[in-house]
Amino acid sequence: MNDVPVTTKLGHKVPLFELATYDPVKGDFSKFSLAEQLERKRWTILFFYPADFTFV
Amino acid sequence: MGCDVVTVSTDTQFVHLAWQRCEKELAAVKYPMAADPTGNVSRMFGVHDEASGLALRGTFIIDPEGTLLNSEVNFYNLGRNIDELLRKFKANVYMKRKANEVCPSKWKDEGDKTLVDPGAKMVGKVHEALQGELQGA
Repeated sequence: MNDVPVTTKLGHKVPLFELATYDPVKGDFSKFSLAEQLERKRWTILFFYPADFTFV
Repeated sequence: MGCDVVTVSTDTQFVHLAWQRCEKELAAVKYPMAADPTGNVSRMFGVHDEASGLALRGTFIIDPEGTLLNSEVNFYNLGRNIDELLRKFKANVYMKRKANEVCPSKWKDEGDKTLVDPGAKMVGKVHEALQGELQGA
């Protein structure tokens, strides 16, 4: 657990990562993969927020 | 426009499911809700608040090559403006196609005034360039 990521700077490549997701359209669990986004030549907007069940 | 929006918090996907099904305000949400319980992806973007274990309100635009082109981080108590996010996204897509143009602050959409080939001739003459009065611009 010592591999704390370095903050990515503007204009630099984002290290590839994956996250487990809940997909409301499918109503099922899935995953997000940055590598897949690059393969599919898609733009990505990441939208961070503090916590579920609050007032986003 | 070939873009995917993903929301991220340090909650698990199980809590995302429960919240989306419970909260009627979220009934129309179509974006995948990603789980970052370790906070490692939040740290990757500098939005992890180590004191609380929560992610600050950060928005990041990544191009299809994986380059980070835009970041905006608000503290807990300020919401984000979707129109401004859309403006920045459109500008990034536009400038990807037109590498010799830059989008000024008032640029909103395709067809709005850009600055073409900014260089020595434009130094101190940005006003004229924006008005289209700069000789040879």
